[in-house]
Amino acid sequence: MARKPICAIPEFCVLENYKIAVLPYGLAATPDEAAKLASKIGYPVALKLISPDVTHKTDVGGVKIGIKDETRLRHAYEDILEGAREYRVHGILVQKMARKGVELIIGGKKDSQFGHMIVLGLGGVYVEVFKDVSARICPITKEDAQEMVMELRSHPLLTGVRGMKPVNLDKLYSLLLTVSKMMVKEDMKELDLNPVIFDELGFDIVDVRFVR
Amino acid sequence: MRADIANLKYVFEPKSIAIVGASDNPEKLGNVILKNLVDGGYEGGIYPVNPKYPELLGKKCYADLKSISGKVDLAIFAIPAPLVPDVAEECGKKGVKAIVVLSAGFGESGNVELEEKLKSVVLKYGIALIGPNCLGVMNPESRVDSIFFPFYKFGRPGVGDISIITQSGAVGSCIADLAAYYKVGFAKFVSYGNGATINEVDLLEYLGADAKTKQIMLYLEGTKDGKGLLSALKKVNPKKPIIVLKAGKGIVAGAAAMSHTGNLAGNYTAYQAAFRQSKAIEVDSVVELFYVANMFSQVRPTGNRVGIITDGGGLGVLTADAVEKEGLDVAKMSDIGRQRLREMLPARIPIANPLDVIADSGVDIYEKAINAMIEDENVDSIVVIILFQAPAVDSRIVDVLVRASDKKKKPILVVGVGGEYTRQNRKTLDSYGIPTYGSPETAIRALKKFTEYSLFLKDKK
Repeated sequence: MARKPICAIPEFCVLENYKIAVLPYGLAATPDEAAKLASKIGYPVALKLISPDVTHKTDVGGVKIGIKDETRLRHAYEDILEGAREYRVHGILVQKMARKGVELIIGGKKDSQFGHMIVLGLGGVYVEVFKDVSARICPITKEDAQEMVMELRSHPLLTGVRGMKPVNLDKLYSLLLTVSKMMVKEDMKELDLNPVIFDELGFDIVDVRFVR
Repeated sequence: MRADIANLKYVFEPKSIAIVGASDNPEKLGNVILKNLVDGGYEGGIYPVNPKYPELLGKKCYADLKSISGKVDLAIFAIPAPLVPDVAEECGKKGVKAIVVLSAGFGESGNVELEEKLKSVVLKYGIALIGPNCLGVMNPESRVDSIFFPFYKFGRPGVGDISIITQSGAVGSCIADLAAYYKVGFAKFVSYGNGATINEVDLLEYLGADAKTKQIMLYLEGTKDGKGLLSALKKVNPKKPIIVLKAGKGIVAGAAAMSHTGNLAGNYTAYQAAFRQSKAIEVDSVVELFYVANMFSQVRPTGNRVGIITDGGGLGVLTADAVEKEGLDVAKMSDIGRQRLREMLPARIPIANPLDVIADSGVDIYEKAINAMIEDENVDSIVVIILFQAPAVDSRIVDVLVRASDKKKKPILVVGVGGEYTRQNRKTLDSYGIPTYGSPETAIRALKKFTEYSLFLKDKK
């Protein structure tokens, strides 16, 4: 009988329970393990510090991206540990590099009056500046998902503008529908899938945080 | 159905009304309400209740509810808050079906216990409670009126088909007073204040099923039942357009939001989501409630394409700008339509949209232009800009517009920017059910919301 692998990052596993694919990843405890994982996942990869004491990984140099080979991987691994000397380290996440595309944030929140809601926004640094988000109360329909996209001021980035191909909208709609289901079923208080990077073929979910 | 909700009809159509706390002092609410009911022509039984007086305004005054020999359907409370639960109990024993509690001093000022006490009494007897801390109700048809503002200060709207649900009495009174001024009629008006038992969700459901109500205006600060609100909006809005004004929109996110989403999505985000999900029509101001409501006298547009007729070039451009800004389309007239116009109009008028019929054109040129736009299959709605100041335009334009609107083929709205003469003509047009606006921007904003709602209904079919 095949045993389910033990989950390295619990948040990722919750998503996997809903068949929401996360970028291939593994958790390494040593540089050798990291190298093994990286060759399995395939370069380029990213390394990320996993520590209960660190919320903003980049502030302590806990994120290294675009690592092309094993030599660079081992250096990067040491660098991260160096920066994290004062913190507890649960491991180093080895993750496939995300595709290039449009960065989105898909999130959720439990409102005190309306219950669970789902939020879509333009991700990355833009989300703070433009606050270009749309929201619906869960559960949502496919029509709601379509309207959420069209309500974003920046929707041409998704539907295609100036020779840019549209992103895979069907996958975006079905991701929104699944996240809406998950919000309710897991009774999440807050959720961030951030960033979720979309191109014309599909998407990569780079990071997940939630509060129950 | 909850017994108290089933008794809501006695709030709006009681056969008899008791005024608890009736008074002979014109500065007291209990005096104003009694006077308003008598002067307003309410034809059911009127029973003032106050042990201090043998009679008031020619009506026999009763010491308490049980001394009234006849049946009492509705009791209006104008007494201090601490007395309310006991008198509600008396109402229950007397078999009163509904009460309106105007008195403040309940949950809104921290007296949660007093409000709970009142709630338990009305639920025990199945009494429909409006309030506390509210203006109560007005039904121009049955002449029920618990609004404690004198007639001379506060106009009463006539009979119509718009119903108002308002959480705030102050905003509600402004809406009603404006409606009277604009000559917009009401079906029912209800200011529900704290909504201790019957709240906006129950009222939406009730008015959604009310045969006299065709449109609903909702003023809301907050709801205690978001899910119920969303489902009531979804249920009622496709049958009767709900125009909603939500106050308290500041993005105050949860105090301790951990996530990006938590910080981005404040409480108003959830309201906005619910309005969009139900396609309720959200507006940003009290006057905009009317700007949008007025559009509903017109037939529904079947598309986004706006035809613009003007006798002043600049206003045409401003209107076209507004059309683009709001995400509607400036219509491209069909070839046949253009040809038709070319044949009908003098050569000095270039055929285009906006169609500038030029300031020295008379009323008959307007009529030709409007008819051509009505016939043009590429035009979904028609904005007629009138420079009432121009010498060749006179009040015969009213007839032209009424005739065009009466064809009921396409929505027609009028923009008239100007002073007294313009306003007089606009008022006349409004009274014939042709919506008029004092600026292109307000007109097009209202048209946008009307179009969005119309297309939502069209898609639903």
